[in-house]
Amino acid sequence: MGADSTSGSLLAPLASAEGVIFAILSIGIVAMALFCMTRRNPVTAVMSLVATFFGLAALYATLSAHFLAVLQVLVYAGAIMVLFIFVVMILNREESTLISLRGLPTRVLGVGAGLYLLLVFFQIVIPDVVTPPAPIPDSYGTVASIGNILFREFTFPFEAISVLLLVAVVGGVVISRSNRKEKDAVDAAEKRLAITHLSTADYPEAAEHLEGGEPDDGHGAAAGGGGHH
Amino acid sequence: MNAAESFNLRLIPLLPFLGAAILILFGRGFKRGTVVAIAAGAIGAAAFLSFSAFFQVLPAVAEEGGLRDVVWKWIAVGNLSIDLAFRMDALSGLLCLIITFIGFLIHLYAAGYMEHDPDYARFFAYLNLFCGSMLVLVLGDSMPVMFVGWEGVGLCSYLLIGFWYSETANANAGKKAFITNRIGDFGFLIGMFLLFHATGTLRFSEIGPLATAGSTLMVPYWGMPLAFWIGLFLFIGATGKSAQLPLYVWLPDAMAGPTPVSALIHAATMVTAGVYMVARLHALYVLVPALMAIVALVGAATALFAAIIGFAQNDFKKVLAYSTVSQLGFMFVGVGTGNFSSGVFHLYTHAFFKAGLFLCAGSIMHAMSGSGDITKMGGLRKLTPWTHGVFVVCWLAICGVPIFSGFFSKDAIVAGAFATEAFGTGNLAWVGPVVGSMLLLAALGTAFYMSRLYFLVFSGASRADHETQHHIHESPSIMVVPLVILAIGAGLGGFVGVPGGLLGHPEWNLLGEWLTSSVGPELEVPHNTEMTFMAISTGLALLGIFLARAFYGGGYREPATKFASSFPGFVQLVRDKFRVDELYAAVIVRPLRGLSVALFRIVDRVLIDKLLVGGTAAIVDLLGRITRSFQVGDGQRYMAAFAVGAAALVFFATRPTLPAHLKVNVSGTTVTVDASRAGRQSQRGLTYAFDFDDDGRSEVTGTSPEARYTYDKAGTHTIRVTVTDPRWHTESHIKSEIDLGNGGRN
Amino acid sequence: MMPAFYYLCLSFVLFVIGTAGVLLRRNALIVLMGIELQLNAGNLAMLTFARQLGDEKGHAFAFLIIALAAAEAAVGLAILVSLFRARQTINLDEASLMKR
Repeated sequence: MGADSTSGSLLAPLASAEGVIFAILSIGIVAMALFCMTRRNPVTAVMSLVATFFGLAALYATLSAHFLAVLQVLVYAGAIMVLFIFVVMILNREESTLISLRGLPTRVLGVGAGLYLLLVFFQIVIPDVVTPPAPIPDSYGTVASIGNILFREFTFPFEAISVLLLVAVVGGVVISRSNRKEKDAVDAAEKRLAITHLSTADYPEAAEHLEGGEPDDGHGAAAGGGGHH
Repeated sequence: MNAAESFNLRLIPLLPFLGAAILILFGRGFKRGTVVAIAAGAIGAAAFLSFSAFFQVLPAVAEEGGLRDVVWKWIAVGNLSIDLAFRMDALSGLLCLIITFIGFLIHLYAAGYMEHDPDYARFFAYLNLFCGSMLVLVLGDSMPVMFVGWEGVGLCSYLLIGFWYSETANANAGKKAFITNRIGDFGFLIGMFLLFHATGTLRFSEIGPLATAGSTLMVPYWGMPLAFWIGLFLFIGATGKSAQLPLYVWLPDAMAGPTPVSALIHAATMVTAGVYMVARLHALYVLVPALMAIVALVGAATALFAAIIGFAQNDFKKVLAYSTVSQLGFMFVGVGTGNFSSGVFHLYTHAFFKAGLFLCAGSIMHAMSGSGDITKMGGLRKLTPWTHGVFVVCWLAICGVPIFSGFFSKDAIVAGAFATEAFGTGNLAWVGPVVGSMLLLAALGTAFYMSRLYFLVFSGASRADHETQHHIHESPSIMVVPLVILAIGAGLGGFVGVPGGLLGHPEWNLLGEWLTSSVGPELEVPHNTEMTFMAISTGLALLGIFLARAFYGGGYREPATKFASSFPGFVQLVRDKFRVDELYAAVIVRPLRGLSVALFRIVDRVLIDKLLVGGTAAIVDLLGRITRSFQVGDGQRYMAAFAVGAAALVFFATRPTLPAHLKVNVSGTTVTVDASRAGRQSQRGLTYAFDFDDDGRSEVTGTSPEARYTYDKAGTHTIRVTVTDPRWHTESHIKSEIDLGNGGRN
Repeated sequence: MMPAFYYLCLSFVLFVIGTAGVLLRRNALIVLMGIELQLNAGNLAMLTFARQLGDEKGHAFAFLIIALAAAEAAVGLAILVSLFRARQTINLDEASLMKR
């Protein structure tokens, strides 16, 4: 690694105030990301991801990307994560095992490959000499200038992304639409099961001939009245 | 020569083979008469051809090596050239006559004997097959052809001994015969290989002239000439086939087969193959006196040993079996003492009287409702007169009573043993007299046990139960006629071989004359020695008969029962054949069986079934599992594979490239190294470090792929080049060795 | 701004964390969250280069990435809900019908 001889000067920027902020933010971000990926409880995971996004927004601010910092909070942390929380609330199941065990060797190998690529990345990215960033005007990263770009040079992608959002909305509705026939069948099956439970409590011998299982002894008294159809 | 070349010798073995083929394929549908007609007809035709060849054509060409018939070229590999060819000279011609003639008689006998057997056609098919193989054996022009016949008779022996295979004991007897023969065959093969190695040829006509004192056959190995080893291994094969010590154990068990089989195979023909082989290779055997001594001693020991066992056997056929072993010993003594013609003479007389004795046994067993137990026989003289008559003739022949054939042949052997000069006058000179004395004892024993057999079976009162006694009857004429013919042969056959020394007229020894062209001249025995031994052997024969009469005349007499009760252990030991079979079973069979069970468990079950078969399946299963795991629809796994692929791509694409070999130019002590790789990738930006003496420090570094360096001294140096890619921080190495001494490059 | 490579290293670290979560977790929700992390890591890299080169087009691009992430999250969660209705579980191991 060519950085060895100049490592001192490479890490020097950390000593400034900006460096301290960066250090705190990055440690927070990484910690929250790790936290998120290692939680069993999905709610905790969502919350830590929100925290990650907040940190990232702050980091964007240090990069003079003000508009995007706000956008990150509003859209990402505000809308997308709320969507996640909705779904988490519907499906809240806690995990028993942390890691999927199916085909574990392949997955671990994949993670290993990722780490190797990380190492290679470090070797490439860390330069011998730090080039300073380009000078930027005051209007850099403001809503106006970004809007300018969006509506002038990036008109086509902008329109395309709105179509994409439309497609996503329609798609979401279509996919999560319940199937009426299926729902009715499920309801009918549950009704039949309830009837079985009630009636077999009085007549245990009949239980063998019906699907569903053993007579439910606890409902004996209450079933006597309402069980006959 | 034309008559000799054009005579179709191949027909002689071919006709019986043809008969066998027809009977195996179609025989089941034929009537009994047709089967016999085909089988006996085939062998009869072969007999006719043999007679015409032997008496009409052969005398003219005997001196030149006899009749020859080349059928086709069998093997032609490098130096080895073997034809499927047949040759009839005096020796093989005589044996052909014996085989075909006695075979024909036995075919007729078996037609009556096997009448009630359902497998009629199969029996005659096997008999014909056997005769064909035996004829191939004796007519073979070279050792491999003889070996084909050798194996063939072994196979037929197995098939015929185990003919009634539904009885396990019979099948086991067949197995035992075959396996014991096989052990001998192994020796035969090794002998054959050594012979080829020594002489480069396997044809009898070429081996004979090569067996001289100075030839390659006499090269010493481990102290003995090569001819000794060859002859020894071949003799091991002979002990297997001809039932000598130690491989005789199959012959008594072989009595489980039908009696005609015992007569043909185990008396007249197959067992004589060993004697034939030694006589055929006589030129080889006379080269080494030690070898002859071994042959003679083994033969004599076997003769004596088997004779003693014969004293206590209670089964008719077993007595005859041990008698065969013993008589074969006599034959081997004959050929072992250099008296080849006498050995063959005894072979010829033995064929007649032993076949006759066996067929009598068949007759008697037929009469006794299938039982061969002599303790329950007796008094059959009046009830089976023809059989009795034939038996008497053959009995007196085997005992060596004068005039009968056995007398002449046995005496020729004994006298020859004492008079032979084959062992020289050095440290092997004792072999002749010792062997001769053993034979005299064996002859005494022969006379005793054969007479015992006669008296117990034919004299006195019947010891059988009433049921059996009612059924005793003489055999039908189809069985009696061959018996009588054999008896005539046994009685008068000896006169063709009257020894020269007896009456001072060597030319009256017709057999000896005939065989001279094949096995050399008859052994010269001085007149006095001849007469002495004739007298001694006659006396011993009569003594044996007299003793047997005292012990067993008319049934079990007092001396017999007193002896049996005084030495019960010894008698039982002899009756148990000295427990040799048990010894073999314990020492050889059981360890082998244990080894094969162990091998089965280890190799078959574990190694082959579990590891190789199961293991292959398991590996395929494992590979399938691994391959399958990439396609289970698990998106996360796909992504992981993606990541791995990306990492691999990055890894392999970022190594800087080096050529496979460094291009090194040497001039004097200066080398120029070029590490560039022509073609695709540009070399800009790479850093090269050249280490010219492999000491870890780079002498030349830079961005140029070429470098030049001058060494201080000549010799071999190692150049190591390291190229670095500064962007990716990766590096590659290459190493090359150069030798400055002669200016070349590796 | 700190030197660019700081932000880039952080971005790649976040990306790897996100990838590890996607590869190793079996709760489908957490997997989707990992994907969000990966997208954010890309966003960070985008903005870093935008600042380094002084070009605001990177901001516009990042804007579009955020919109895209929103659309993708919506559809992904809809699929998740549908999966839950069909299999009664969002555990990816249990939801799969194929053999190992």
